[in-house]
Amino acid sequence: MKRFILLTSLALLAAASIVLGQATVQSTTPATLRTQSGDRQIAIAHQNGQTYFSAEDVVAGLGGSVAADAHGYRVTINNNVAAFGPDSRFGVVRDDLIEMPAAPVVIDNHPFVTIQFFQGFLAKTADLDVVWDERAKLMQIRPLQHTVVGVQVSVANVQGISKIVFTLSQSSGYAIVKEQGGYTIRFAAQIRPPFNEQAYEDPNVAKITFSGTDARIQLTSPDVAGDAYKLDNPYRVVLDVRKVAPSPNAPVLPQSNKPVEQPGIHTIVIDPGHGGKDIGASGPGGLLEKDATLAIANKLAASLATKLGARVILTREDDSVVSLDQRTGVANQYKADLFLSVHMNAAPVKGAHGSEVYFLSLEASDELAKKAAESENASSSGHTPSTQGDLKLILWDLAQQEYLAESSRFAQSIQEEMNALAGIQNRGVKQAPFKVLVGATMPAALVEVAFISNPDEEAKIKNEQFQNTVVDALTRAVQRYKTDYETRIGIAQPAPPAPAAPPATTTTTTTARTGT
Amino acid sequence: MRRVAIALALLAIAGGCREKKANPNNPNEANKVEVRAVRVYFESPNMLLIAEPRNLPLPENPAAAIPAVLRELTKGPSNANLARLLPADTVVRAAYMLPDGTAFVDLGGPTLTAGWGTGTHEELMAVYSLVQTVTANFAEAKRVRVLVNGEPAETLGGHIWLGKSLQPMPLLVEPGSR
Repeated sequence: MKRFILLTSLALLAAASIVLGQATVQSTTPATLRTQSGDRQIAIAHQNGQTYFSAEDVVAGLGGSVAADAHGYRVTINNNVAAFGPDSRFGVVRDDLIEMPAAPVVIDNHPFVTIQFFQGFLAKTADLDVVWDERAKLMQIRPLQHTVVGVQVSVANVQGISKIVFTLSQSSGYAIVKEQGGYTIRFAAQIRPPFNEQAYEDPNVAKITFSGTDARIQLTSPDVAGDAYKLDNPYRVVLDVRKVAPSPNAPVLPQSNKPVEQPGIHTIVIDPGHGGKDIGASGPGGLLEKDATLAIANKLAASLATKLGARVILTREDDSVVSLDQRTGVANQYKADLFLSVHMNAAPVKGAHGSEVYFLSLEASDELAKKAAESENASSSGHTPSTQGDLKLILWDLAQQEYLAESSRFAQSIQEEMNALAGIQNRGVKQAPFKVLVGATMPAALVEVAFISNPDEEAKIKNEQFQNTVVDALTRAVQRYKTDYETRIGIAQPAPPAPAAPPATTTTTTTARTGT
Repeated sequence: MRRVAIALALLAIAGGCREKKANPNNPNEANKVEVRAVRVYFESPNMLLIAEPRNLPLPENPAAAIPAVLRELTKGPSNANLARLLPADTVVRAAYMLPDGTAFVDLGGPTLTAGWGTGTHEELMAVYSLVQTVTANFAEAKRVRVLVNGEPAETLGGHIWLGKSLQPMPLLVEPGSR
């Protein structure tokens, strides 16, 4: 009994020491914060292998403030706001997450956070970097180091084609935007331009102006078409521009900032939803969505190539896993003019039936919209945006937003054709934040052919004749949208011939089908 | 006997240490509980979100109350005419609010962890049943950010993007339940 009591006591002692250890209030130690305005002392604490920094001390050193409320803490620096809570390792800034390795801790009612909070906040809002030197106990806040890419420009006219070559000291992403009377090439990297503005005595190119990361090419006439491509060794972005015959109607230049290679709908990416271990929804009879989408997408690709003479690319041609980003990535890489994702629907309500067509809705937060507007203004007024990383992020997040009006027209066209199909009830065009549509830099829509969760519709989806009917409807929808779009931008559009489908040519990840 | 007394004394010390000092900034701190009428959202026969009223004992602090309301949502509807949206094995691991009005909802459970095989409609409505349930019951919550197993997730089932906070979408809700 004595031994039992002794052991129990020892166990209790051990337990008590563990609990005591956990409950010990962390002591803080001093460190130095170095900013452009000088050094000041801050408090830090160590716990569970992490170094925590006093949010109040660091924020005060940056001229900001920390306010507590029932939910956590709100940090304000130069009108930029971030928030964190004591129980979450995720903070928020401008609707984006700040991921920390551990949740903040509260010591004597003062919040302490890991360095990642400041890194996330300051990189997104102030273009600042935060570095910690544990040995010197020194936190430094300094401007983010950007690589500046040198740019040289040449313009030459060869047989009526003006070749504008931007030679870069290293590779950089870029987007080409067609605007009224010219093009803008927006480089992803910060650039060192050779001049601010230069005029040219060229039949097609009036002048080139640099502003921030943009190079604007002003054309001599609206009746000029462009074709862009890139070359390596050295890295060059080339824009060939040539005169085209004015269209009978007044030329309507697209206002949607659509990147222009060749105007019109020539390349279409069809995305069979799901694949591989991602089976999608399953029908009560065992039909898998991934199989149904592939069957219909294959038929649709062949139909579009044959009937429209389009170059059609599938994001997958077999039962393979393709990530959602890869799907839009394929469309962007091939500079597709249209993107259509094919899916089968599912609902918990028995008897759900009919088709649905979606295009993207993105709830740009007030903060995001404000920032996008600021970036726009900064670009147009010639000031380099102070938050380059953020600008890139916003542009990507809003990539599809530039095409929403066209995506809406495209979706509407599909809806009307699906509606006309006997036995398919129209559920209308809808908007939702689809991951697969977010990054698409072209008009994009997603069609839910029918409800695989409904046994009657599952049987239909399996039926080859029904599949053909759907494919015909989708082909008509694409044809209608293509004609409508090309008419609006002033391209003469002869009635497409109906050549025989050529054999498919296969690339490593996609199948391209091109009509003749 | 003396040893027993020592052991009991140590136990008392351990128990005393376990009691954390109340922290007014901790939203998960247990506080005053009272029964509140809340609305949890399921799918109506019209395939829209519809509110089902519940009376729940909830902590006064809204952030602490969010997980309790969401756990009620995962239990499914009591009205047989309404349909459950989230998978039956969904677990609400945590939920909390930040001062900017972003409510975090951290989900788990076997189906969501393995990858939910579902269609657009069901996934869309499931995601917005969370958004609607949080924002309809807690005025401070302006938007909802969904995590899975404590991490940012791309989607729940391959469709609806969770990379941004989601605001309520009234078009998905029965007019009488908005």
